Formats: sequence, C-alpha cells, structure tokens
Amino acid sequence: MGYVNLMGLEPGDELPPLEKEPVTEVQLVRYAGASGDFNPIHTVDAVAKKAGLGGVIAHGMLVMGFAAQAVTRWVPNKNLKKLSARFLSMTRPGDVITIAGKVLTKGFQDGKGFITAGFWARDQKGEIKLEGRFEAIID
Amino acid sequence: MGSVLDKEGLELPEYTFTVEKGKIREFAAAIGDDNPLYRDGEYAKREGYKDIIAPPTFGIAIDMWGGPGFLGLCRWLELDPLRLLHGEQEFEYLGEINPGDQIRARVRVAKVTQKEGKSGTFTLVRLETEYTNQRQEKVLKSINVLVARDYP
Repeated sequence: MGYVNLMGLEPGDELPPLEKEPVTEVQLVRYAGASGDFNPIHTVDAVAKKAGLGGVIAHGMLVMGFAAQAVTRWVPNKNLKKLSARFLSMTRPGDVITIAGKVLTKGFQDGKGFITAGFWARDQKGEIKLEGRFEAIID
Repeated sequence: MGSVLDKEGLELPEYTFTVEKGKIREFAAAIGDDNPLYRDGEYAKREGYKDIIAPPTFGIAIDMWGGPGFLGLCRWLELDPLRLLHGEQEFEYLGEINPGDQIRARVRVAKVTQKEGKSGTFTLVRLETEYTNQRQEKVLKSINVLVARDYP
C-alpha cells in the first residue's frame, strides 16, 4: 500500500483524510459481535432510549477503529507505537465520519525518525466525535 | 454490597484469548477496514510480518471475548451498564499479534476518581492492561478510562 512519505512532512502538515461510509444499525450489530461488546445501548433502541440516549449510539471503539484505519493508511502497522483517543460525543446511525490528522512533532528517538500526530473524527455536521494522537517510527 | 470506589488497586482474574484468523477478519470487516494485512497472510509476509496481524484496536475483542465481557465487567466493578460510557482509550504496541497466539491479559484497576460535573457526580475508572503471548513476550498495553454517570 502507498503510505504517506513521513520524511517529507513537517509539524503542522495535514494527513490525507479518510471519509467512511455512513454508520448503519447493522454495522453496530456486526461490531457488537466482532468486538464482543454487547452493551445493549449500541444495538437495542428501546434500551438506549431508557438510558436517556434517544436511540442507539455507536461503540466509541468502532469510531476509534475508523481512526486506526486512517492511521494505518498513513503509517505501516509495524511502525505504529502508540494510539490514543478521547471520546467527546456520540455517533449515531446515519452519521458520516471523516478522520483527519495533522503532524505535531518530528524528531529522533533511539536513533530512528519518530513522529507524533493528532487526529480527530468529525461527522457531516462538523461535530467532533473523538480526538486522539499517535506515535510512529519513520523508516 | 461494595462500591466501585473500593476497587482501586485490585486486579481482575487473568484471562486468556486465542486469536483466530476469522475473528481478525470479522473485526476488520465490521469496521469496514479493507487493509489486506488483516486477511491475506502471504501479503502480510511480503510486507515483513509473521502472518496476518490484529488491527490496532483489536485489544477490545481480547477483553470482551476473553475476559468477563462488558456485563461481567460491570458486575465485577459494581457499575450500572446503562450509565457507563467510554471516556478514553490508549494502546501501546510492543509486538505483533497473529492468528494462533494465546494472549494472556492482566487488568488492574489503576485509579478510581469521583468528580462533580454539570449533571451530577461522575466516577472515572482507569483500567490498565498488559497483554503477553504464549512466548512470554509483552505485545500490547492498554489504558481504558470508563465514565460512570451519577455514582454512587
């Protein structure tokens, strides 16, 4: 796959965004099964309403999974050292999530090139769902 | 009846999860991630990996399928699942996770904090997990911050 040439990037440079297909209720069911997280607020509308959420919401980890997909298009998996996210707002079926990122620092660690970058997930209305950071080695 | 506030410093019973090719493929497909590293072993080897690898957020499946599961975790922590949200998640990658690996997870309740928010008291539970494979290599660490609304 064609990864981003990190050597050519500087702090402040943007990473190519990844726009995902709209989140669907079926996707939440699939993710519940795949991840094993069967909290019913993600799959059963009546329970989510009872919990005061207005309807089912996506697993935060699904949206972090989208972010990880974007990050591993930017850098090879084996170069990824750390990935973190703070969950800021709820994602619902129909939301179209885009992951964008920006280089924060670039330097050397243990004799190898090393970058840190920030990323965020936003929906079609511009609401930020999560923000995070990653650290990766530059080959 | 105890409280989540008494759990700080405790460890969950250890659990082990055997990583399967199909679970990796299913996990990537649910996310809609078409990266061939998650389904094509020959491709992964050409790219310098031992085999198919687990995606970066796969630790959650190890926890949920290998461990007590979401509802079991809630029972153990004495938290109401309907009032629980995921606040933060961090993964540190120390090695590859491949099909056939037997991953042992040790989860510690690192910190339990109560805070006053706009809509009442909430409790932050910070879980720290270390994942070791069958060769005793540490492959992954994670930090998971759960947010419980209106506790106790």
